Amino acid sequence: MLKTLGKQWREKFEFGIFTLPVLICIAVAFYIPFAMTIRYSMTKWNGISKHPKFVGLDNFKQIFSGDTNFSDAAWFTIKYAVLYIVIVNVLAILLAVLLDMKLRSTSWLRAAFFIPYILSLVIVGFIWKFIFMQGFNSLGESTGWAIFDLSWLGTPGLAFISILGVSIWQSIGFYLVIYIAGLQSVPEDLKEAATVDGAGPLRRFFSITLPLLAPSITISVFMALTNSIKVFDVILSLTGGGPGGTTYSIAYDIYRDTFQNNLYGYGTAKALILFLAVLVVTIIQLTVFKRREVEA
Amino acid sequence: MTTKHNKAGKIILEVILVLLSLLFLYPLFLTIINSLKSFGEVMTDVIALPQKLTFSNYAYVWEFINYPRLFLNNFIITGVGLLGIVFISSIAAYKLARTKTRWSGVLYFLCIMPMLIPFQSIMLTVLQTAKNLNLSESTWGLGLLYWGFGAPLAVFIYHGFVKGIPTEIDESATIDGASGFRLFFSVIFPLLKSVTTTIVIIDVMWIWNDFLLPLLMVNGSPETKTLTLAAYTFVGQYTSDWQYAMTAMVMAVLPSIVVFIFLQKYIVKGVVAGAVKG
Repeated sequence: MLKTLGKQWREKFEFGIFTLPVLICIAVAFYIPFAMTIRYSMTKWNGISKHPKFVGLDNFKQIFSGDTNFSDAAWFTIKYAVLYIVIVNVLAILLAVLLDMKLRSTSWLRAAFFIPYILSLVIVGFIWKFIFMQGFNSLGESTGWAIFDLSWLGTPGLAFISILGVSIWQSIGFYLVIYIAGLQSVPEDLKEAATVDGAGPLRRFFSITLPLLAPSITISVFMALTNSIKVFDVILSLTGGGPGGTTYSIAYDIYRDTFQNNLYGYGTAKALILFLAVLVVTIIQLTVFKRREVEA
Repeated sequence: MTTKHNKAGKIILEVILVLLSLLFLYPLFLTIINSLKSFGEVMTDVIALPQKLTFSNYAYVWEFINYPRLFLNNFIITGVGLLGIVFISSIAAYKLARTKTRWSGVLYFLCIMPMLIPFQSIMLTVLQTAKNLNLSESTWGLGLLYWGFGAPLAVFIYHGFVKGIPTEIDESATIDGASGFRLFFSVIFPLLKSVTTTIVIIDVMWIWNDFLLPLLMVNGSPETKTLTLAAYTFVGQYTSDWQYAMTAMVMAVLPSIVVFIFLQKYIVKGVVAGAVKG
């Protein structure tokens, strides 16, 4: 009796020793700050005064009743996220199908497309800023092509395309690698059987490869979704939100409110809205995609 | 006949793909050649090759941002972060996967839930918490903070992997007299090698390049800055001196590229294993 009790205690103790460190670290990094965020979101606070003033849900009312900064940033982020998810996944699947064939340069090609992904997004933004501002001048002079004379960072529509393009350039290698892995798990004999049955390459792709790629698609879309909703670094270094404030994302808008305008309480309320949006959208995405996976 | 046709098609396709990949990397090529030019050369023609290689930009930036110091900072932050993430996440994921109680389920959920919290939602309060715990303004403190930020994904990946290891292994080790940490480190941890590689790769790339957390935590003094941060502030000061800016970019990026070239095979494999398992 005493012995089993001793053993139970020992097991509990060991459970604690193994799991407590991670729980403490995660609490410090996420849960404590998150609880504080909820509290601050209901205050008016400039970050300096000792006592934040409690204002209830006023911040949220203000955000939803006509904060054009927030609605513009939200619209920007939605447009960006949708286009980013679709384009990066379609391109990565196409490229993966090409690189899944047995070519002599396959390993070089995979590495080449992956390289931008190992660079920091802030640095990628600066590199492209240089290309857009200085490089396009020279390219325009030597080729005479009109696309190089456009102001890629100076006109709102084009600046949006630039940010989208640069983000896709940086990250496509990552999705490419996921899809190549997915393709390699598609059984060869299935494709062969389809060929024998007379299915052409397009038919094979849509009826066999694509459905079997479903798990990879779920993961890639999930990654693309969570990353694109939080887009920040590349905008900071590429356009800085310009021209005329047309390229602020939600994450950037929160950063601007809290750290540049010292609207701590107000910015935190926006941050909480972002969290809820991310939560809802990812849960919907995962359920919908998982369901499709089972059917396939 | 068709095979011949196929072969020619394949070669054409391959040539197109190689050209495409060179075009894809052209921006990086431009960055490198412009870091080797003088101010005048950059201004007159960006795409021309440098007339003669000048390394003075590198000497200047090296001195100005105190490169060795920054490199060491990055190294400390990434090293401390990595060791901690791997250690605390692997032991916790192992225990949580092996213990079948309601508690372990709840705790596991609490561990992985933060993957859905965007950093921007908590960045201000993270900064405050770090200040209260005296973790801000130091490279070691920043490294420690990454333990919590990296743990959710690591626990998630480890947990999935441990479930695939038969419990008989634990049992036979226990009979042989190993238990607790002994059992974990001499029997289980070696079995987790492939997934540990994945986590190390994903986290090294992330921590080495991270921007927002260092910006908030250690931006104060030049002694604690990271490479990406220094490149960011440096370009801010020298927006028109593109030759210096490009040099700073190359120097910030070079360590990752060198590591990538040497570990290329493992990196691509590691990302695949992590992403597909996860």
